[in-house]
Amino acid sequence: MQNKMIGYVMILAVLLFGGLSTAQAAKAPNPEAAKVERMIADADKARKRAASVEGEWRDVGKMLKKAKAALAKGDYKTAKKLAAKAKSQSEMGYIQAVAQKDLKMPSYLKY
Amino acid sequence: MKHLLKKIAMLAVAGGIAASAQASPEADREAFQNFYKNRFASVPMEEYPNGVYSIDPVGRENWEAIEEFPPYETFIDDGQEMWEKPFANGKTYKDCFADGPAIAGIYPLWDKKNGMVMTLPLALNKCREANGEKPLKYKKGAINAITSYIAFASRGQKTNVIIPKDDPRALEAYEKGKKFYYTRRGQLNFSCANCHLQNAGMKIRSEVLGPALGHTTHFPIYRSKWGGMGTLHRRVTGCNKQVRAKPFKAQGEQYRNLEYFLTYMSNGLELNGPGARK
Ligand code: HEC
Repeated sequence: MQNKMIGYVMILAVLLFGGLSTAQAAKAPNPEAAKVERMIADADKARKRAASVEGEWRDVGKMLKKAKAALAKGDYKTAKKLAAKAKSQSEMGYIQAVAQKDLKMPSYLKY
Repeated sequence: MKHLLKKIAMLAVAGGIAASAQASPEADREAFQNFYKNRFASVPMEEYPNGVYSIDPVGRENWEAIEEFPPYETFIDDGQEMWEKPFANGKTYKDCFADGPAIAGIYPLWDKKNGMVMTLPLALNKCREANGEKPLKYKKGAINAITSYIAFASRGQKTNVIIPKDDPRALEAYEKGKKFYYTRRGQLNFSCANCHLQNAGMKIRSEVLGPALGHTTHFPIYRSKWGGMGTLHRRVTGCNKQVRAKPFKAQGEQYRNLEYFLTYMSNGLELNGPGARK
């Protein structure tokens, strides 16, 4: 039950955060490249936030590395996809950790 | 396989929650050990140091065959050599650990001076560094030789983790380790307890999930899957990765606190390291 709720909150959060893109356009020669760069930076920020509550997921770092490599090659589509996934996974990891801030012992342990 | 994991996750949810987060360590340990006594009523307490082989008869047969020619034996010998060979400054490990090599039973311990949980690998490296030697890596390699030798010499000692009452930070570290153990992590949303308590005895892929009781008595281990030896923190790293959580640093605060909690849960069980596992 509680898990289901966390699931919904995660989905909601992803929808919410995913829609927000607040950063300003940087003065790079290619506006698309600048946009992707910003997405990657945003995702990395989300990763750090998840890590700050010990909620980082396993593959986020790898995704960001791959996103940067794709960006460098000019493959914006792949880079964007990876950055978005890294960001959403970071947000879910953050919510997952915060939702369990207070330890609740499982009921199968009898005190 | 994904399907199975999902199923187990659902079961984990069905387990529900109770409010005993603030119990004393002793009450925690009793509840923890009683859980297994109830689930595996025919398994005597002294069997748990044998890990999953205490509850998996098929795996056990294989394991007993392996133990006839223990794959960790050469590591014990290498470790003895390390123990006896003087550092560049002429001193040895014995100068740091007067009671050595049979010292595994006192770790992990609360280091009041530094306000932290001290583990055996960390203490060994402190000794090395104090004597001008390079520290050993904490997951693979030579650390497993020296700790194999120490574990072997310590066989028969009893797990006896102490949480001193005169320093509230010790209990805090224990509580942090406990919290870590019961916190779901990673994309698969599993806690250690979901697998090693709640679903102990069930199968995941081709592996039977072993009880957590006795999880700390036998490290380091030779693991066939690794084709080599590894520390407890290396094993825990694998379990974190398995649920797609980012693992923490070996010998970092999280895993040291976890070790403090987890070893306390096995208080009273005999040490039987080094071990061999699938
Ligand atoms: C998805 C299930 C799963 C989760 C979650 C999990 N483990 Fe494991 N773990 C296993 C399996 C499978 C094995 C190998 C069989 C066994 O010994 O239980 C294992 C083995 C171990 C071992 C080695 C046991 C031995 O006898 O040498 C330790 C220690 C361990 N796990 C600790 C942990 C800790 C601590 C956590 C939480 C950070 C954790 N595990 C989370 C599945 C899991």
